[in-house]
Amino acid sequence: MLGGFAAATNIPALAVEASIAAFPSQFMEISSLLIPHQLDRDVGLRLAAALSMKDPEFAAHVANLLDIARQKHATIVEEFFPDVPDGPLKDAARLIISAWYLGVIVDAPDAEVFAYELALMYQPTIDVMTVPSYAIAGPNGWGSAAPPLERMPKF
Amino acid sequence: MASEDSADVIVVGTGVVGCLIAEQMLDAGLSVLMLEAGPRVDRWRIVENFRNLPPTLRLHFDAPYPPKAWAPHLESYTDAAGAEYLQLEGPNARAYRQGYVRYAGGATWHWAGICWRLTPQDMRLKSLYGVARDWDFDYNTLEPYYTRAEYAMGVCGPSDPALQWPPIRSKPYPMGPLPFGPGEQRFTDAAARLGLKNVPAAQARNSRIAYDGRPPCCGNNNCIPVCPIAAKYDAATALPKIEAKGGRIRANAVAYRVETAQKNTIEAVHYFDPDKHSHRVTGKIFVLACNGIETPKLLLLSKDERNKNGVANSSDQVGRNMMDQPKLVAELTLAEPMWTGVGPVQGSSIMQTSQGDFRNRHGGALFRFNNMARSTFGGIAAVRKGLVGKALDTEIRRLAACTAEIAIEHELLPDPNNRLTLSEQKDWLGINKPNIYYDVGDYVRRSAKEFSTPLVRKLAAELGATDIRVSTEFTNSDHIMGGTIMGADSSASVVDLDCRAHDHPNLFLPGGGAMTTSGCGNSTLTMTALALKAADAIAGQMKRS
Amino acid sequence: MLNPASSLVCCFLVAVAGSTWAAASPADAGDSSELIKRGEYLATAADCGACHTAAGGKPYAGGLAISSPVGTIYSTNITPSAASGIGRYSEEQFARAVRRGIRPDGANLYPAMPYTSYSIFTDADVQALYSYFMKGVAPVDAPGPRTDLPFPMNIRLSMMAWNLLFLNKKPFEPDPRESQAWNRGRYLVQGAAHCSTCHTPRGFLMEEQTGQTFAGGQVGAWYAPNITSDVNSGIGSWSQDELVQYLRTGDARGKAQAAGSMGEAVEHSFQYLSDADLNAMATYVRTVPAIHDPSDRSSRFAFGKASSDLGLLRGKYGIRNDDGDPTGAELFQANCASCHSALGQGSKDGYYPSLFSNSALGSNNPNNLIATILNGVDRTTSKGQAYMPGFAGGPNDLAALADQKIALLGTYLLERYGRPGVVVGAEQVADVRRGGPSSSLVALARVGVAAATIAVFLIAFVVAARVKRRNKPIT
Repeated sequence: MLGGFAAATNIPALAVEASIAAFPSQFMEISSLLIPHQLDRDVGLRLAAALSMKDPEFAAHVANLLDIARQKHATIVEEFFPDVPDGPLKDAARLIISAWYLGVIVDAPDAEVFAYELALMYQPTIDVMTVPSYAIAGPNGWGSAAPPLERMPKF
Repeated sequence: MASEDSADVIVVGTGVVGCLIAEQMLDAGLSVLMLEAGPRVDRWRIVENFRNLPPTLRLHFDAPYPPKAWAPHLESYTDAAGAEYLQLEGPNARAYRQGYVRYAGGATWHWAGICWRLTPQDMRLKSLYGVARDWDFDYNTLEPYYTRAEYAMGVCGPSDPALQWPPIRSKPYPMGPLPFGPGEQRFTDAAARLGLKNVPAAQARNSRIAYDGRPPCCGNNNCIPVCPIAAKYDAATALPKIEAKGGRIRANAVAYRVETAQKNTIEAVHYFDPDKHSHRVTGKIFVLACNGIETPKLLLLSKDERNKNGVANSSDQVGRNMMDQPKLVAELTLAEPMWTGVGPVQGSSIMQTSQGDFRNRHGGALFRFNNMARSTFGGIAAVRKGLVGKALDTEIRRLAACTAEIAIEHELLPDPNNRLTLSEQKDWLGINKPNIYYDVGDYVRRSAKEFSTPLVRKLAAELGATDIRVSTEFTNSDHIMGGTIMGADSSASVVDLDCRAHDHPNLFLPGGGAMTTSGCGNSTLTMTALALKAADAIAGQMKRS
Repeated sequence: MLNPASSLVCCFLVAVAGSTWAAASPADAGDSSELIKRGEYLATAADCGACHTAAGGKPYAGGLAISSPVGTIYSTNITPSAASGIGRYSEEQFARAVRRGIRPDGANLYPAMPYTSYSIFTDADVQALYSYFMKGVAPVDAPGPRTDLPFPMNIRLSMMAWNLLFLNKKPFEPDPRESQAWNRGRYLVQGAAHCSTCHTPRGFLMEEQTGQTFAGGQVGAWYAPNITSDVNSGIGSWSQDELVQYLRTGDARGKAQAAGSMGEAVEHSFQYLSDADLNAMATYVRTVPAIHDPSDRSSRFAFGKASSDLGLLRGKYGIRNDDGDPTGAELFQANCASCHSALGQGSKDGYYPSLFSNSALGSNNPNNLIATILNGVDRTTSKGQAYMPGFAGGPNDLAALADQKIALLGTYLLERYGRPGVVVGAEQVADVRRGGPSSSLVALARVGVAAATIAVFLIAFVVAARVKRRNKPIT
């Protein structure tokens, strides 16, 4: 991939290497902007690698999304998401969000799984529901009380 | 009498029925050799399998149990995969897509653990309502075996008779009930306003104490597909106990033929190992406890000169009268949060709706709030909507908390046309796959149309549902019954009142297949009660010989 | 029971008889039912039942097999049965057995019976105990199995020499400079509760090492840790309340949970002691001179944090129906995390403890981590049943983890949640599984006896040869 890219666009090899090396941290950066929550670095590295393997344009999409976010001086997703144009860029943004929340890039029977316990979709209800296969309390230590719906857990 | 390939009692199948019988036989001083088609797999491996599933497979309960090539079972990850092993036909083919696990430990690996008893009326459908058959013994005869089964597995339940189902018990439950989570409590309250009791389920789950050395439930909410800590009874926990008592367990041994001898006694069982080599084991007593599909299949495979329709099949009832509880599901969207995922996946049901004079026209049904955590559902649905940021989190929480599922399980009548036969198609070992024709019948369809669907809508309304979708296609409940039906009349049944094959005095076929009628409740407790009754008969028979 | 006012008075009368300190004066002991009740309380404090009541057996009827490094010792029937128990003992004989380790027939008891600790029981307390065992316990007319230690330990005479070296014969004397609670605590800790029999390391002859009080000792499969006041090596970081809570329930959240013999001690003894007595014991224990292990640069209660390897391992190993050769991380997630949580933090209600800030993982000795994984925990107090299943692979065990897997798992747990640098080896797991290290004392004693015997024969032979030569006629 490295060799092909350099040959096609005539960019000095060092600059290409640097941009490829920068991709994982760019991916974490855009992920944090798109998702205002704590993100596991190991999951991020694996997602970054898998996403760019699946789509050779992905690194470019990430760079472009970062540009849009920076132009808007955005610190959270609501501040720049409407400005992301429909099409491959918006799809890429949605794919990043979906991957972190669901723990898979594609939800198919033979899909690679990157997260379960750390999949974000379990966090909005973590104050009430257990993540299945994990204890909620000691023996008979649960009951029918529930906190208000509006009280979103912090994560 | 015990050598490499023989024992007093040969037990084919290491599910809950086979294991309970094996334990009883060993306690009675008999030697036991068990054959299991599939592998022995550690619990921790299955738990990690589950966690390694993509979200789309989390509700496919077979997914953490990849079968070995020689012991296939249903794999449902795609429709094509689902059509591989069980060959299903008939108007309700979909409703017999039964999940079970061909691993040592059997289907209790992924059962919900629910232990309802039949009621006295459930056992007298013919006399009371003019349909189906009467059992040829009554509830009082079965009751002591129910009690023994409850203590063998460790069943928890309420001590208040007003909450027991049925409140006809000779001993208290071994343990008190588990607490309700928020959803179950709301369901209970709504049902009460309609004059219905949502009662705590009798469940084989350790409540507060470490019963039988297994830890108490800690609310993993993962009973289906696997209890990570064995707080839920599953037969896998019986295996080391059986071995400690001197029982032998041979895994990866696929029984394919039951051999009869001159006087039509059973002489041996033949099995294949993973290298497709055949082996033969002999014994004095043979117990086939392979489940309600695999046992009739094995009997049919074993047809010989003396038994032209298959072993134990002079009545032509082997493989007939296949039963289950056809299931419908109501999906609710609610104005107020209900919440799931607190406590075990199933913890209660409305049972009284399984009884009534209407049973001369249509079947009864039970209603059950599904307590499986709906966070996966909420996550997938909200992400699909394309939401981001706070809106995404809020919608996940709302969808997870404010949607619910109510399962409806109907009783079904034994119909000889609902039949298991041997398919032309063969599996990896060259053994015929099972073919099942299934039609739930008008008795069930009328129940859904006139009784259960209207009632679930009322329940939904009482819960403040803003939307309700009731499925119309019946699906499986995995309670496989009827294929080796029990009765006193040997021309109309396969086994006698001790689950002994009418045709072969040393062959026993305990389990769901022996059940004469289905009732609405999960079948396991009745299966295990019948297993203990059979065990008593075997022990008595061995003592006399 | 213990009246603060009267004991204060008694303190000043220390010269009269050391025995009046810890209890009401002998004159008050006239009320027989009071005496029996006090005896019962003391028997609970001393946990006589821990050894003298077999699992599922009648109270105090003996028969419990105690595996010691020198062989199996069976506890005796101490019910008042005349045929099989101590029904024929006089109070004097009872006192000699409890405080000196000598039976009425003159034979010595093995120090599995902690008479070295009980030697400080006051006369009044011995009287109360005697009353309880004679009148408060139901007689059981069934003898237990005989103790048959390997030669030469079966010669009880060898205990006489041992006692000469190691038995304390001085009566208990309260220290007038210390508080009454401290003195009461010392009396209980050094006496009835016999803490040092486990928590003090033993020398080669199995005696408690002087100068090493409470520095930690191996007891069968479990290790009784350093409970001196050292901040890093001991329990110097514990508050009074924490220690009292721990004795009462076996649980100090974020620090330690009692299992093995300590769990039993909590369940059968400490949980029944009075608030005042537990506080007295804590008061005393917290002043025991610090003994520091130079390798301890922080306390064993303060290692680790909530974390996991989930980001790396989730989805990596797929869906399989075979063993798959798991890593330590995978074994942790698969076997332990359901209860101890995905990040090792335990359950919110504290029932399942966190694995970090946990002495079993923070210690420089992984023995208790291994023993817990193998044997689990089963401890019932007024708080309920604290239960963890074992993973050794017995008929009742949840899982059968072989030594190699437990070594992998243990090493991973220590790395991630405990003390870095400590590893678990498969042989160590096998050792703990067998019930702990055995002593070479028996073998060496036998070698010693054999050597002595050979020496005697050699000497006899040489002497005989010399005599023969001397008597030969000169030719």
